[in-house]
Parts: sequence; structure tokens; C-alpha cells
Amino acid sequence: MEKDNQDRTAVRLKGVGDGLCVTLDPAQPPDYLQEELARLFRRMKHLAVNARVTLDIGEPDGYEELTEKLGNFLKETFGVGSVSVPSGKKLMPEERIREQDMDHSWRHSNSDVLMLTGRVRSGQKVTARKHLLLLGNVNPGAEVLAGGDVLIIGSLRGVVAAGQPDNREAIVLALDFQPTQVQIGGIVAAGLPPSLGKLTEFAHLENDTIIVEDYLETAPFGRLPWPEVR
Amino acid sequence: MDGKIIVITSGKGGVGKTTATASIGAALALEGKRVVVVDMDIGLRNLDVVMGLENRIIFNVVDAMKGKCKLKQAAIKDRRIQNLFLIPASQSDNKNVLSPEEVVLFSEKLRREFDFVLMDCPAGIERGFENSVVAADEAVVICTPDVSSVRDADRVIGLLYARSITPKLVVNRIVPDMVEKGDMLSHIDMVDVLSIELIGLVPMDDQVVISTNTGAPLVLQKKSMAGTAFRRIAMRLNGMTDLPIRVPKSQERFWKKISTRLGIGK
Repeated sequence: MEKDNQDRTAVRLKGVGDGLCVTLDPAQPPDYLQEELARLFRRMKHLAVNARVTLDIGEPDGYEELTEKLGNFLKETFGVGSVSVPSGKKLMPEERIREQDMDHSWRHSNSDVLMLTGRVRSGQKVTARKHLLLLGNVNPGAEVLAGGDVLIIGSLRGVVAAGQPDNREAIVLALDFQPTQVQIGGIVAAGLPPSLGKLTEFAHLENDTIIVEDYLETAPFGRLPWPEVR
Repeated sequence: MDGKIIVITSGKGGVGKTTATASIGAALALEGKRVVVVDMDIGLRNLDVVMGLENRIIFNVVDAMKGKCKLKQAAIKDRRIQNLFLIPASQSDNKNVLSPEEVVLFSEKLRREFDFVLMDCPAGIERGFENSVVAADEAVVICTPDVSSVRDADRVIGLLYARSITPKLVVNRIVPDMVEKGDMLSHIDMVDVLSIELIGLVPMDDQVVISTNTGAPLVLQKKSMAGTAFRRIAMRLNGMTDLPIRVPKSQERFWKKISTRLGIGK
């Protein structure tokens, strides 16, 4: 029973993307590992031909000889395409993520933004499933609702509800921020004091209270080191 | 050529829809057009009083639409101004007696007979409003420099756009003194919020009260500032779109300016 268990964990194979990842236990004798590998790859037959194989020893250093030997064995016996060891992944995960974010993290994100232009008049109601971006104005008596953020590139004078029904991270931003009422994730603020002049302000939640601040001065997202999908 | 149907509306009551209808109608008739003004405020008829034609009513708009009388019988001819006709509202019915289909049918008849058909819309956005705008080609939204009036006008403008009618704005009852002091909304702020074409600024004028009560056409009063403003609005509706809009100025201020310049006063 114990032997069986050992067998299974010594060499494991799984498909990763368009390649194969083999996890090896370096504590086992090399011959034994080779035998186990051969057993697994024999079962795969033609699937192994030209495959990209990653040999994961678990520990980064000290087993170059072993991986080289096993790699050559796989190439010669089963005709796999390439054999590599997982590099850098465990050493610099932070940097990898950053690189990914910087390069193309948003490329494949299906952004849920309703982008509109024009004026929302009194009695009219605009509802967005997630974020709402409006190039225009919201007149007094109008309502804008969103599941995420509400961004008004213009003046906001109506009722605005962001983060409906319970997203407490949502913000409301307007170039001219003068709403009659603001709701964020179920918390309501009415009777906001009128702002002085046309300031680009935003509202967000802080300890269950809606806070309105100057957007450019506070720069709430300016501290993020790289762009993120919101 | 078929005439134009213009609805005069505001949403809020008491901002001067009826006065504006009577005045613009009279002014268009003075321009030489055949004009009919139709009071669509069924049950609360006013336009006949403002035009001084109350005692000549025999048939009304409901009779005409239901086919109880001919169009010519319902249209009362104004004695002072040629080519001006009034179709009064019924005082005994309510707004639900008319259906939009009947209004559309009747409007087609009016369109053939007249150059301009002005519909005086009731306050509110219910059935009466519905009936008034259903056949309209154009709309004139009357708004006073009050926050509440602007709010209602905004709503009505939204409803008009939804019916593919592009409304035009008339700002009524401007008190230049208060605007200059900053106590009253300026027309610039209003246009800013409503963002539609402005076709006239009408100052507050005591003459309006006098002529409304006596039934004398406001536009015939040569000295009336409001009358002049309405005549210019009518000219713009009649195609003179490049006629500049006069901003009402405080007259006292004007004299004060002169006296200051001459060195008298402060």
C-alpha cells in the first residue's frame, strides 16, 4: 500500500496549456524516475511526439544533471519536442505578475462599461449593469444607476447610485460634482453641501460613510503602480 | 402647401403658455399668415378669455373633433386681427374625451386650412399633453427663470425628443434687475441645462396682466416690451431665423449708467 502511494507521487504528469508538465520527486533514485517516466510516456504513445515538456523538480538548484539526463532520455526515446525546467516562476513571482499586468493583462478582459454621450434629462433614468461612463450632463431630476462606478464627464446634478446593490468599492466621479443625492452600495448621502465652483470631485465609501473629495488632489488611483482592470 | 402645427407647452402650470399662444398667434397673423390657435386645455378653458373672444363661443374643439360641427363653425374669427382664428376648449368635458387618433385626424384638416396651427397645451404630462403633441411638427417650450419651471421643462423636452420633436425655448417673465443682481436664473444658465435652441427672451411686463384681463392682444400694444418680444419670436418661427435675440436690460440701470457717465448720482 505504501509502495503504491510512493509510485504515484514520485512522477506525476499533467497537461498545461499546449504542453506537458512532469513533476518529479528528486529524492527517488534517477533510474527509478526514468523507469516511471518511460511508463507514463509509453502510455501516451503518439501524443508525446513533439510535445513541449516541462520537468518540475520542485527545488530550483542542484539537479541540473538529473533534468538533463531525463530530458535527453525523453527526446531520444519518445521524440518529444523540447524539454525545459520551470524557470523564474518561483524566484520572481511578483515581477512576473507585474510584467504581465504591464504588457497585456487588460487585452483579454471583457470590460463591462456602458459608455454614453449626451444629456440625461429630468425624469429619465439610465441603468448600467456594471460601470457607467457618460460624456455629457445629468440634469436635476434625472437618475443614473450602475452596478460599478459612475463616471460623468460633464456636470452631475441629478441622483446617482453606484455599486448597486452592494459593491462598496464603487466610486462616483464628475467633472462638475453637484448631485442631489449619492448612493454607493446601499449607503445614501443626501443634502450634500454645494461645492465651490466647478471641481472635479469623486465620492467613495470610507467606514460606511460617503466621502466627497477633490479627485485631482486625492488621486485615489494614482498610487497604483500599474494599470489594473477594474 | 400644408401648414405647420406648433405645440406650445411647458410642463409646469402658470408660466405663460396661454399668453404666449395668444401673442405668438396674433403676431403670426399680423405677419400675414392664416393662423388658428387651438385651446387643448379641455375642461379648463382660458385662451378665449385671454383673446377676448369668450362671448362668441358656440362650438368648441371637442364638437369639431367629434364631428358635431364643421371646422369653420368652431373657428372663431378675431375681429381686430385679420386671419386669426380661435378654436376654444370645451369647459364641460375632461381631457379623456379626446383620443390621439381623433386629434391627428382633426389636425390634418387644420393643416390644410391654415398656415400655422398653434396648440395651447395644458400643464402636466398626462393625456392632455399627449393629445396636444401627437400631431405637432414643432414645439415651443415656455419656461420661467425658476428652478421648478426649468425642472419641468427639462422633463417635457425629454418627452418631446422621445417623440422626435425638436423643441425650441422661450424664456418668459425675466426680471432684468434680479438677473443682474444674481437673484434670478439667467437665460444662459437655463440654456446650459436645457440645451435646446433659444428663440426668445420675454421680460416681465405689467402690460401682460392688463391685456390678459381686458382681452386686448398684447402684440398690438406698441409700448409693451413683452409684446415686442413675442412679435420677434413669431418672426423667428416664420422663418427669420437669423433675427438676433434681444436680452432684456434693466431700464433703471440704463438711466443710472447715463447719469453716472454725466457725473450726476453716485
